[in-house]
Amino acid sequence: MMLKAIIDADILRETIEAIAALVSECRLHIENDGFSMLAVDTANVAMVKAVLQKTAFQSYEAESCEIGVDITKLRNILGTPGKTDQVKIELDETRHKLELSFMGYKYSVALLDTNTIRKEPNEPNIELPAKIIVPGMELNNAIKASMLISDKIALGVDTQEKNGPFFFMHADGDTDQINKTFGPTEVQFVNPVDSRSLFSIDYLKDMGKIFGKSASVEVHLGTDHPVKFIFDMSNGNAHFIYLLAPRIEAD
Amino acid sequence: MHCAECKGKGLCGLEKCPILSRFYAKAPFSFKKEYHGNSPSVFIGSYGYPDVVTGPLLIDDNDHPPDWINGQYSIEDIVAVRSRTIRGRSKEIGHITELQEIALSSKPLPVDVDFTKPISFRLTFDGIMAPVGLSGELKDLQVLENAHVARAVDKVTSDTDLKAVEALDYLYGSGIDTYKMTSLLSSGLLGKRRRVTPTRWAITAVDDMISKKLAVSIRKNSSTDTISIFSHELYGNLIIFILIPGEWKFEMIEIWSRNSLWNGENDFIVADRERGIKKNYSPITGAYYSARLAVTEYLSPRHISGTVIVIRRISSEYWAPLGTWVIREVSRLAMKKMPVTCENVKQAEEIVSSILGYDDWRIHSQYLSDLTRQKKITDFIGF
Repeated sequence: MMLKAIIDADILRETIEAIAALVSECRLHIENDGFSMLAVDTANVAMVKAVLQKTAFQSYEAESCEIGVDITKLRNILGTPGKTDQVKIELDETRHKLELSFMGYKYSVALLDTNTIRKEPNEPNIELPAKIIVPGMELNNAIKASMLISDKIALGVDTQEKNGPFFFMHADGDTDQINKTFGPTEVQFVNPVDSRSLFSIDYLKDMGKIFGKSASVEVHLGTDHPVKFIFDMSNGNAHFIYLLAPRIEAD
Repeated sequence: MHCAECKGKGLCGLEKCPILSRFYAKAPFSFKKEYHGNSPSVFIGSYGYPDVVTGPLLIDDNDHPPDWINGQYSIEDIVAVRSRTIRGRSKEIGHITELQEIALSSKPLPVDVDFTKPISFRLTFDGIMAPVGLSGELKDLQVLENAHVARAVDKVTSDTDLKAVEALDYLYGSGIDTYKMTSLLSSGLLGKRRRVTPTRWAITAVDDMISKKLAVSIRKNSSTDTISIFSHELYGNLIIFILIPGEWKFEMIEIWSRNSLWNGENDFIVADRERGIKKNYSPITGAYYSARLAVTEYLSPRHISGTVIVIRRISSEYWAPLGTWVIREVSRLAMKKMPVTCENVKQAEEIVSSILGYDDWRIHSQYLSDLTRQKKITDFIGF
């Protein structure tokens, strides 16, 4: 087990925040080409995959290993350094600590026993037919707008309209409704296929806060199937996938 | 705004709450100008804050609700005890040193009190606090003995660099009960910037701060693996808890039955919930935080988490509002009992409906809908 790396605080913070949106702890895989993790939230409703490439680091030297990390604690610690501060990361194998140094501070954070952390799911290979690319901010704004009306939101693609395919978001409250459509000028339809699934806004809003910062988000959809959001941050050096299970429409 | 949401705070704009006014009963009593006896705790009013009325509670009995339950007091017994209780009043936060001495003490302190006029009787009720019957304006207040101060209480009250929330956490860990904490907080003995806080607010603040702190640790625990139902009924308050495997989430449904205290001809239902940390004040008011405290007190020492749905049904038997301690204590009693375990959510719903006698409550639970309507990601990907 060996790790010596230096990274911009902002890049590490964005990555940890993207993971913290769904889980409070995870198994982090340290490889010679970067970090990666895959985890399902405690309620078994959503999944997050994160890959932080070696190219994201100023310097990176590592041997393959798996460590247990308290993500919430890391997020809190990374609240301190400024955008351009450098964070030095080292692994203290004998004391089972992750050492983070920045601005003259040195945090030694206890590692979690990986046996106490939930088993990782299999790499998802689920088939979702519709595929579109949406600006992250637009997608997040539409989620935030729907929050005012309802606690669940339908996402889908409609190809039957004569003005070309539409990506739609529709939320039904007890008395009110909200509709938002994106046409071909606003989003890119890579695979326009009719689809519609219902999702919990509780989860979407946490995910939206994160992918809202990404220029473009690849959205994969089916009918009564999960939604998959794929996006990059940190100049393409950090890749993320969120997968969210649908709700069954009310009978 | 419905009466069951306001509970006598005066949000309708009327000078006096018409429901509470029903209890401004008159009772025979010898109206003295002095009092020689014990003072078990203090009372800080909320009206006109920050210019509030402060004073000691005077009675040769305890001011500790769990003792009323242990002593099997009926609602009538409690109202009778509280009718005999005198609330000393002084304006502009007078006699604060004496009040803090009373608040610090782990047992009631003997006091000599002179009132400016003979004390008067006006039984006042409030949704959050226990009722009080007599009151008199203080002329002089003398505490006759030194306070008996628990070590933990001495430590936190003498540390002015300790935040109130940390002080409460320490007191809780040292086994000091929540009623004592309310007294300490309201008489301005805790925190960095100390100030006298209305009793009504301090009660909810203590419930909120302690349960929030416990919830933070509960969120890290692994989930319970069974569905359990706990229930208990006392003073017309039926409280049912459903504990379901999953992440920490809390939901409360409060049902004011037809013709119950705050209600008219139809059942009135208020629901509120939280996932993560709650930010806004609950429309269920103090009861929400008292029930949440009891739940977190159950989960935290067992190192488990789960989704909790609480149903409180108030019947017309609850003829006088006694304070949120009723919810806190009835909830604690429910959690002490052996739970009924269920095979699945549907069975749990049926059991709860059979305890309540109807199933109207079900549509108010968003988290139960989530459980039955929300698919699992594990249905689509392998583990």
